[in-house]
Amino acid sequence: METETLIRRLADTAEPVTRLSPPLVRLAHWLALGVPYVALVVLVMSPRPDLAAKFADPSYIVEQLAALATGIAAGFAAFASVVPGFDRRMLLLPLPPFFVWLGSLALGCVQSWVQVGPAGLSIRPDWFCFPAIVLVGMIPAISMAFMLRRGAPLTPHLTTALGGLAAAGIGNFGLRFFHPQDASIMVLVWQVGSVMLVAALAACAGRYILNWESIIGIARHRAASVK
Amino acid sequence: MAMLDDSRLRTLMRSAQAGDTRAYAELLTTITPRLRRMISNQRRFLQHADIEDLVQEVLLSLHAVRNTYDPERPFIPWLLVITRNRLADAARRYGRRTATDEEMRQMAVTFSAETANIRAEELGDPDALRQAIEQLPPAQREAIEMLKLRELSLREASGASGTSIGALKVSVHRAMATLRRTLRK
Repeated sequence: METETLIRRLADTAEPVTRLSPPLVRLAHWLALGVPYVALVVLVMSPRPDLAAKFADPSYIVEQLAALATGIAAGFAAFASVVPGFDRRMLLLPLPPFFVWLGSLALGCVQSWVQVGPAGLSIRPDWFCFPAIVLVGMIPAISMAFMLRRGAPLTPHLTTALGGLAAAGIGNFGLRFFHPQDASIMVLVWQVGSVMLVAALAACAGRYILNWESIIGIARHRAASVK
Repeated sequence: MAMLDDSRLRTLMRSAQAGDTRAYAELLTTITPRLRRMISNQRRFLQHADIEDLVQEVLLSLHAVRNTYDPERPFIPWLLVITRNRLADAARRYGRRTATDEEMRQMAVTFSAETANIRAEELGDPDALRQAIEQLPPAQREAIEMLKLRELSLREASGASGTSIGALKVSVHRAMATLRRTLRK
């Protein structure tokens, strides 16, 4: 097809579009859907009996806020990454809260070592964490995928990794409201580990969820079928 | 791109997003020559037809994600990001295609030369080769015939046969392995 013909057909078949909202607005919409769902899962799973006491535990509060902030920052970065011309420094937004999260857990590990010795760093199986994080992060993950597909697939793997990190971060935040596992090494290995695994799996799925071919194919087909 | 009037393009794009087809056509017509020049400057080794393919791919990409443009922001940087992203994608595809086509060219040299070709001597005479090709499973034989004998590109062969590029690569790889085994007996 000649380019001039393509131009004419693209113009003739172009319908009005709904502009993408700014990343901050999209983040708010995503949280408005995700947070009630997380709260519902926590209620269904029954909040941990020592929750009131945990609110007085500084390390619990820091780690929860850091997990939540990591999820929110990653969500914003994901929404920004599908807008051509966005400030690429936004991609680094999840790093500070993530380092706070890791730092708090590392400090907890050191404290356990000092108080209890090597036994304080023993790792036991806790296979509940990964499926629980997936369950709590499921609706945020699905809604994130649908919302990201409205943008431009500029960096598919990085975008979906950020989306996965966002959903899993929120998932971990919810998990610790009903799963009474607070040993720093256990949280580090099983919970943060699960969050990173979800982000890695999401990155692998990048080109299947976000790719130019699927969105261009529709436009190409329409332009080709114009008489 | 610096020669284009960004404020005019912003206005046209804003109208195009609202459904003004004339504004949209004017926008695309205005940016196309600049795109063509930019792509041919960055990809001097490409033929005219390939450059035009890239221009059309950028236009289709812009069309597909026109909802992501914010009229409060400059238009040209938005367009440039899309253009560079698509050029990078095309370069990766070209690199993969060139690597596979090179493999195909080496195979053509190996199997077509009758004399003084070490690979051909290893694998046997041309008549035995032809017989071995005919004994290949249908998918492998078809892949060899299209890519080696008719020297189609992977994309052309995929379009002609309805087989995906990935499946064609697998068939050719297996065919070569089968032929080596057969002709070394």
